[in-house]
Amino acid sequence: MNNKDINEVELRVFITAVTEYFQALAGEPAQVRSAYLGTDLSVPQSYDYTGLITISGNYRGCVYFSCRQVLLRRLLVCMGENDHSESNLLDAVGEVANTISGNARKHFGATLEISVPVTIHGPTESIRAAVRARPFVITIDWLGQAAIVMIDLERLV
Amino acid sequence: MMRLLIVDDSNIIRSRIMRIVLAGTLPGAQIVGLARDGAQAVMMFKAHQPDVVTMDLTMPNMDGVKCIEEIIAINPDVPILVVSALADKATAISALRKGARGFLNKPFTEKQLIAALKEVISNDE
Repeated sequence: MNNKDINEVELRVFITAVTEYFQALAGEPAQVRSAYLGTDLSVPQSYDYTGLITISGNYRGCVYFSCRQVLLRRLLVCMGENDHSESNLLDAVGEVANTISGNARKHFGATLEISVPVTIHGPTESIRAAVRARPFVITIDWLGQAAIVMIDLERLV
Repeated sequence: MMRLLIVDDSNIIRSRIMRIVLAGTLPGAQIVGLARDGAQAVMMFKAHQPDVVTMDLTMPNMDGVKCIEEIIAINPDVPILVVSALADKATAISALRKGARGFLNKPFTEKQLIAALKEVISNDE
């Protein structure tokens, strides 16, 4: 870790964003199980569905949210959405990643530029290619379902 | 009657806003269009002349800030409520300077969306 990487306070910004996301949508906050600096993650951990946001501007890197299908189905139910088609599942995982990243701008400001989400079903090379060796990993639990938020963020200025 | 255009690149968010608006808390509310990006929103705005617009910011093809500019150029009086995950002050101020009337952060609750819509509509009266 060097001074260009995000610090503990900045990591908490993402932790707050992810817990409040589920609180606002479902009235039940996500529980943080762990938050740590990943080491030797040649292949970053992911579940069935992943929403990936690329970061640019005064920062470089990416943020992704990954979870199993059952969590996304429960999320759609909480939103009142009965259509659990593949396109809506991918839409949901992308929207979580987008909201967590966008909410983080409350702390980082507008110079943390975020892309539209790339959504993935299953493990793909694009996740491996996007993430450096030592990202921050937040593991959460929501309604008994595990998910992870991975933050690979480097300050450029 | 309130004729609403919903603009968001997420299908589940467009559907959620539609369900909340049509649930009865806003009497006379009607959805005239669901646009998935700014370019489609401008076309729908010209075609349907809605009374209110909800506007996402981060979208492909044409983003929300550019879309607000284009819509305000067509009708400077239309109330636009930005509904976005971008939570920094600079983005909210920028959208308001372009002509948006209100700003609601995602994730939002049903009550927050209804209150924000009522606010931008009441400012128009």
